[in-house]
Amino acid sequence: MDATKQYIDLFQQERQRIDNGAPRTLNRLRDDALAAFCRLGFPSRRIERYKYTDVAQAFEPNYGVKISGTPTADDLPQAVARSYGSLASVDTDGIVALNTMLAQDITVIHVPASTCKEHPVQLTNTLHSTAPLMHNRRLLIVAEAGAKVQVIQTDKADDGQDFLTTQVTEVIVGQGAEVEFYDIEDSSDRCHRFHHFFARVEAGGRLTHAAFSLAGGLSRNQTDIVLAGEGAAATLLGSAITSGSQHVDNNTLIDHQAPACTSRELYKYVVDQQSAGAFAGRVLVREGAEKTDSIERNANLVCTDEAHMWTQPMLEIYADDVQCSHGSTVGQINADALFYMRQRGISDADARMLLKQAFASEVLSEVPLEALQLRLTALVEKRFRNCEDCKFCKNN
Amino acid sequence: MLEIRNLHASIGGKEILKGIDLRVGKGEIHALMGLNGAGKSTLSNVLVGHPAYEVTQGSITFRGKDLLQLSPDERSHEGLFLSFQQPVEIPGVPMTKFMQAALNAKRKYEGKEPLSAADFLKLMRERRKIVELDAKLTTRSVNEGFSGGEKKRNEIFQMAMLEPKLAILDETDSGLDVDALRIVAEGFNRLRTPETSAIVITHYQRLLDYLKPDFVHVLIDGRIVKSGGPELALEIEEHGFDKYLPQNA
Repeated sequence: MDATKQYIDLFQQERQRIDNGAPRTLNRLRDDALAAFCRLGFPSRRIERYKYTDVAQAFEPNYGVKISGTPTADDLPQAVARSYGSLASVDTDGIVALNTMLAQDITVIHVPASTCKEHPVQLTNTLHSTAPLMHNRRLLIVAEAGAKVQVIQTDKADDGQDFLTTQVTEVIVGQGAEVEFYDIEDSSDRCHRFHHFFARVEAGGRLTHAAFSLAGGLSRNQTDIVLAGEGAAATLLGSAITSGSQHVDNNTLIDHQAPACTSRELYKYVVDQQSAGAFAGRVLVREGAEKTDSIERNANLVCTDEAHMWTQPMLEIYADDVQCSHGSTVGQINADALFYMRQRGISDADARMLLKQAFASEVLSEVPLEALQLRLTALVEKRFRNCEDCKFCKNN
Repeated sequence: MLEIRNLHASIGGKEILKGIDLRVGKGEIHALMGLNGAGKSTLSNVLVGHPAYEVTQGSITFRGKDLLQLSPDERSHEGLFLSFQQPVEIPGVPMTKFMQAALNAKRKYEGKEPLSAADFLKLMRERRKIVELDAKLTTRSVNEGFSGGEKKRNEIFQMAMLEPKLAILDETDSGLDVDALRIVAEGFNRLRTPETSAIVITHYQRLLDYLKPDFVHVLIDGRIVKSGGPELALEIEEHGFDKYLPQNA
């Protein structure tokens, strides 16, 4: 059966229950979302931003879709309701349209003007089900002028069950506001996740987005940042560690629309066994965005002959007087370093593990939240140990 | 301790060692001298099991074991140590973590429990004093941003940590100023026991002034053409290798 049709049929049959169990603000966009999804369908590989991931195949299996028909009277706080859907347009992306059509769950983080959240907000998503499950969720963060907030999202899942998640995140960073968003995916190899992240940063605002893909099946993160006001800044960090048949695809767009904005982007991948990684990062400097300062870098360590890495840094400049650089590297384990370590008595497996950890550590050291940096370092080390201890590595 | 018999080895199909015979006894220091390209570094690389070199003929026995059957890390555990001519920089791998992995791997091989973090750090402190290695260097990544002299000191520091039975010093004196050379050489001497042996590869007498070799060998074109006592090194210092070259021999 056509994957697109299966979701349209489901929506039309369940519309009443979906509406009943969701805040009114979410229901308002469903008709538009349905029309867009009917028109767009799932993005094919012929669409430039999707050329590294086969989307339709991921959505084809028959998942049970989490729908709650229990009536909810609550709606989004009035101050943020109009922000819902303001960045994530349903008209350009089939997956965003599908999510907007089906989503019932939303987490809202609203930080009023000049308010500083002392502690990070941590969201933990744990997927647990007795049958294959699809889950569609939304996250909305509104930091008003001068507000500060740190948000950590962690994804966990039961082993041995198939899960499919779509998430659409919208982040409004007001004038002079600061938002740090950490996305730690540590689920299972039978999880497929599509995360669309949209942020708009007003004058003098700062956004940090850090994505850690530690464990999962197929992960696709599309991260679109608009630097809308003068002097806005964005830092994008990414670390992907893949093994087995994992597939991680990060696709980013940093849109410099105003003068004197800064963007920093560093993504590093360690691609092992038969896994695949893809990175495509586009930095767009629009007319009028003078004094733009942008650095984009993607570095990758490909550990086996069967592993794949695609990398595509892109820089488009339509303004004068800008300072921009972009680049990427793909390499293998350094044989000289490996031999040096083995001469000192470190086994081949341990030496490789230390070198992979070393490669990944650069991104971790950029994480501003110190406690999280320590936690991530431990998670990354554990991740590499699991890999080295697994059957595949021992047999090779 | 070490017995090399009729060793032939090549790299990329090119034969470099053309029949080396060498015996190193317990507690002995052997100096290996020769022009560039004679095969000195090839010999040290073959001894520690560098994968780029292929042994085509001959045998190496180390403390009763067939060395050529052992992996590089097993050779290290058996007590073989190479002070690299050009120590490798390993960004992102902290010295402490590297040294702890090395030391605990050796202890595991010997059937011992890993050293506690406190005992390990205490040992690090003690041993780095032997080569006057700055404490801040041991908090950095392996050799990263170290000067030439610091890298060589770091090699001897690692030797102090691992307590090998046979150390190979491959041009440890190259790139060292007089003070650094003295510190490195005196550090090495302090680590010596009646059980430790060494093969010292050098172009110069000045390192040998400190290390006082028992035997000196001249390596020309993949073969040892002359062996003798310390006086041989002095003779070479004065007259060079000319009379040992094939066209003059």
